[in-house]
Amino acid sequence: MASETAEHIIKSFEGELKRLSALLTEMGGLVESEVAAACEAVLSRDADEATRALETDPKVDALERDVEQFVIRLLALRQPMAQDLRQIVASLKITGDLERIGDYAANVAKRSIVLSQFTLPFSLTGLSNMSRLVQENLKTVIDAVGEGDAEKAVDVWRSDANVDEIYNALFRELITYMMEDPRNITPCTHLLFIAKNLERIGDHATNIAETVYYAVKGEALSGSRPKGDTSAYAVVRSARE
Amino acid sequence: MGMTMGDTQAAVAEKAGIGPMTARSAEGLNAARISIRGLDFFYGTNKALKSISLDVPEKQVTGMIGPSGCGKSTLLRVLNRMYDLYPGQRATGEVMMDGQNIIAPGIDLNQLRSRIGMVFQKPTPFPMSIYDNIAFGVKLHERLSKSAMDERVEWSLTRAALWGEVKDRLNASATGLSGGQQQRLCIARTIATRPEVILLDEPTSALDPISTLKIEELIDELKHEFTIVIVTHNMQQAARCADQVAFFFIGELVEVGPAAQIFTSPRQKRTQEYITGRFG
Repeated sequence: MASETAEHIIKSFEGELKRLSALLTEMGGLVESEVAAACEAVLSRDADEATRALETDPKVDALERDVEQFVIRLLALRQPMAQDLRQIVASLKITGDLERIGDYAANVAKRSIVLSQFTLPFSLTGLSNMSRLVQENLKTVIDAVGEGDAEKAVDVWRSDANVDEIYNALFRELITYMMEDPRNITPCTHLLFIAKNLERIGDHATNIAETVYYAVKGEALSGSRPKGDTSAYAVVRSARE
Repeated sequence: MGMTMGDTQAAVAEKAGIGPMTARSAEGLNAARISIRGLDFFYGTNKALKSISLDVPEKQVTGMIGPSGCGKSTLLRVLNRMYDLYPGQRATGEVMMDGQNIIAPGIDLNQLRSRIGMVFQKPTPFPMSIYDNIAFGVKLHERLSKSAMDERVEWSLTRAALWGEVKDRLNASATGLSGGQQQRLCIARTIATRPEVILLDEPTSALDPISTLKIEELIDELKHEFTIVIVTHNMQQAARCADQVAFFFIGELVEVGPAAQIFTSPRQKRTQEYITGRFG
């Protein structure tokens, strides 16, 4: 997160904060491409993309460890205050969220390989919309991290309700396909998990948005979080019942 | 932790042994013991403090930070009228304590300084025994019997966390103590007259880290009985010790607030730049 104020008197600390920011940006970029590859693997039935996503994940994990170690070092040696403290603690939280996003993307990629063995008698338009929206939010929030942009963070925070809405619709749609034909159960179950993973990625993007906002502004995003995943309560009944 | 979800914040605080002694603001600060309003201070024609207004909460620690020459030590010197000793220095405005403006003429300075004690940057033991260092100030204000004085000396040294280290050599010269012990002796000497407020002017800047921590622990203990104001150049020390932190810059009070707020989310840009080391 870039600072809007003057430079540190101690130049090496300034350099370390920039390096921390660069590490997060690098990690964010990797996670973005991992999610993109995983989504592409599902939507285009592309095993190469799935492999690419799965190969990216260990790099993301390694970067998380780097950021963690760096943060602990900075806390111990620099005893940061105010915006520096907020930025450093925020980096620790963000790296955790990014790592989880990477895990979800890897899971999506794995399921895409199984999924590609089935012919699907329905289109994946809903999932395609969802993946586009999630990737947009992820990109915006990673930009917000790099630029220390609280406004972008708020945009992402608000937009997560849309992701949840698509997920709820998708949930009902997939259950309907399963009811129509039991042969759909295996691919639809995988698709459900894929959709849930994407929904979770959206939630972690929202976490990051909240963290960025706090790091920049020094106060928590006010108001309750826009939550829209109601699938936990959803019941879909067949016409025969 | 033995605390249930239903506990109110106050109940939790009480269980943790930090129950409020006086009314507290929403920010966790006690009611003011000293209220400063519109205080100006002059060294000759040079205005060193500009319209300062600040509440010093009772039985809590107020930390004053800021770059050299910002006026924080000057404010400390105003609080016990130290400046009266120098010609050409004067203060205007209000420093209210118990309904009295302590910078007004006609205040009994000896009595004021027994109520508002001060400890300086460098330990300043008198060249006499440890016992007499404590008894000296007490004798100026009170007539105590030998046994009452013995008790007072023990009370002061115990509260200053020094009793255990010196009880077998009370008649030894105070100058033979280590720097950290000397500073604790000075604190003992200050509290011996049972002041209500203790002013500490960079009390650990001449001490090693362990002696510093001992003094900080002592400050934590003393705040249960005394109102404390500490000037420090060490930001971490202010963060560790103070309940309320005031940031001064070129004679102005830029920002004051609970320590946690000042060190995590200061509201003023100048505070932010100073405490993060971006001043320049």
